[in-house]
Amino acid sequence: MMKTRRKIVRYDKGDTRVAWLMLSPFLLFFALFVLYPILMNIYYSFTNYNLDSADWVGLKNYRRLFRDKAFLMALKNTSIYAFFGVVALTVLGFATASVLNRKIRGIRFIRMLMIFPYATSMTAVAMIWLMLLDPTAGLINKILRMAGLTGVDWLFNVRTALPCLIFVHIWKNIGYCMLIYLAGMQSIPEELYEAATVDGASEFNKLFHITLPMVRPVSFFVLITTMLESFKTFDQVKLMTGGDPLYSTTTIVHQIYQRGFAEFRMGYAAAMSVVLLVIMLAITLMNYALGKRGEKEA
Amino acid sequence: MDKTSADRKFFLITRLFIVVLCFSMGFPLVMTVSVSLQTMNEVYAPELNLIPSVPQFANYAVAMQNGNWPRYFYNSLVVTVVTVIISLVINSMSGFVFARIRFRGREPLFMLILVGMMIPAQVTLIPVFLLIRAIPFAGGNNWLGQGGTGLMNTHAGLILPYIAGSFGVFLCRQFYMGFPSELDDAARIDGCGRFRQFLRIYLPLSGPVLASLAVLKFTGTWNEYTWPLVMTTKDSMRTVQLALATFRDEGEIYWNLLMAATLVSGIPIYVLFFFTQKHFVSGLLAGSVKG
Repeated sequence: MMKTRRKIVRYDKGDTRVAWLMLSPFLLFFALFVLYPILMNIYYSFTNYNLDSADWVGLKNYRRLFRDKAFLMALKNTSIYAFFGVVALTVLGFATASVLNRKIRGIRFIRMLMIFPYATSMTAVAMIWLMLLDPTAGLINKILRMAGLTGVDWLFNVRTALPCLIFVHIWKNIGYCMLIYLAGMQSIPEELYEAATVDGASEFNKLFHITLPMVRPVSFFVLITTMLESFKTFDQVKLMTGGDPLYSTTTIVHQIYQRGFAEFRMGYAAAMSVVLLVIMLAITLMNYALGKRGEKEA
Repeated sequence: MDKTSADRKFFLITRLFIVVLCFSMGFPLVMTVSVSLQTMNEVYAPELNLIPSVPQFANYAVAMQNGNWPRYFYNSLVVTVVTVIISLVINSMSGFVFARIRFRGREPLFMLILVGMMIPAQVTLIPVFLLIRAIPFAGGNNWLGQGGTGLMNTHAGLILPYIAGSFGVFLCRQFYMGFPSELDDAARIDGCGRFRQFLRIYLPLSGPVLASLAVLKFTGTWNEYTWPLVMTTKDSMRTVQLALATFRDEGEIYWNLLMAATLVSGIPIYVLFFFTQKHFVSGLLAGSVKG
């Protein structure tokens, strides 16, 4: 972080002009497609805009939100999805990076394999898992049946649909988390491990007493990014379950899409977007506050 | 040094974990390739067919004839390439300004952009959609942007919102801040203006950061699903991802054809990923280092 210094700065007038000129293309897009939409979104959330007319309805959308069973389900599902996804990705990301942070044969290939699903589109990943989870043609049920068990209708079962989505989410993103952890681990000075070896520390102890504390900022980063990502989940739901069965997999953004683009209740959907925005900002601020505290401790 | 038995156990667990990982990551991919080469009888057979008895390469041809795939690829390519090029130009220029030029309002402006970076596209989905739909004089709109469909079902409508992303500005700024300030002084003495300085000195040295940004932007845009979903209604304007999703929606599911299409849809990404792994990784990592 740059320290802010109180100093009298003299700006070159020509520089200021050139600066704004060179920034203008970006600022134009930024204003038009980021700033203006946010303000408009807040405005729409107080109206009943439905592509035809927009009447001011005050807080009615917000009041209705918290009685809307589908939206409450979406909040709950998204939180469950985020919680298990974040925990699994942080733990597995760390574990994967620590076993792959060594020189073994074919390590480059293994790492590439790990990142592959991350580079692949969610559409393709969803298709692959729809195939694997298919009740009759799918690999998983075939294996279950070969083992003498009965198959499960994975994505049409209220109890298994959301866990399946979480699993696919983890499968797709584990490579990314591993990569971030690997970079963190590779910047740990080798001397620490050498000293520990001299002192007779076991590999297990090294992992938990050197690696884990040294990558704490990385863990924090992975935690926050995966949490923010989780709250934005939409593609996967739309592609794999459509929010079914019985709203058991619907998420916040899926509800925004349903209300906004299937029912054209734009005002109501905008109110949901505002709720999402507040959640995202809360996570970011929490990140900022905790990060500040972490800096002080260090 | 002698390994203790605890260490031996640790290494055993490590190896086991690697095997489990490779299996759980690799097997779904192997199955995808396998199913894409099977007949429907094999796909629906009660037993698990790992290796197709006779590889059905024709599945790929059949899959590509289900819908106008050349057109979908063309749409995705146009949208992706244009997005990448425009983003690189305006992001590097803005990154340079924030890193190298002192001007009134720089800090608050940069803060604003950072805040903007944190706002996900999903939050502004509705207003951006309405904005694109209401662009004046486009798609039968009048000067007030009413009456028609604006830039819906156009490449421009798909491209414009992608360009506004501010991550690239942040990435380039970080990169340029690492340049020695003597570079600027030398340029100034030679009577080089700010824009020329950027064009002649900074841009030629920007290879690594632009490569990373290009790979990230390409992957992100090619893989995008949500925006094309709300922005296009015509089949002729579908992107590859959307076409793939539609493939499944049509009646009976031909898993073999769907898997073939799934594999084909990722070809540009796989090629890019294979040849620019270094940049892909460094781009991802650059995003993880906060300034």
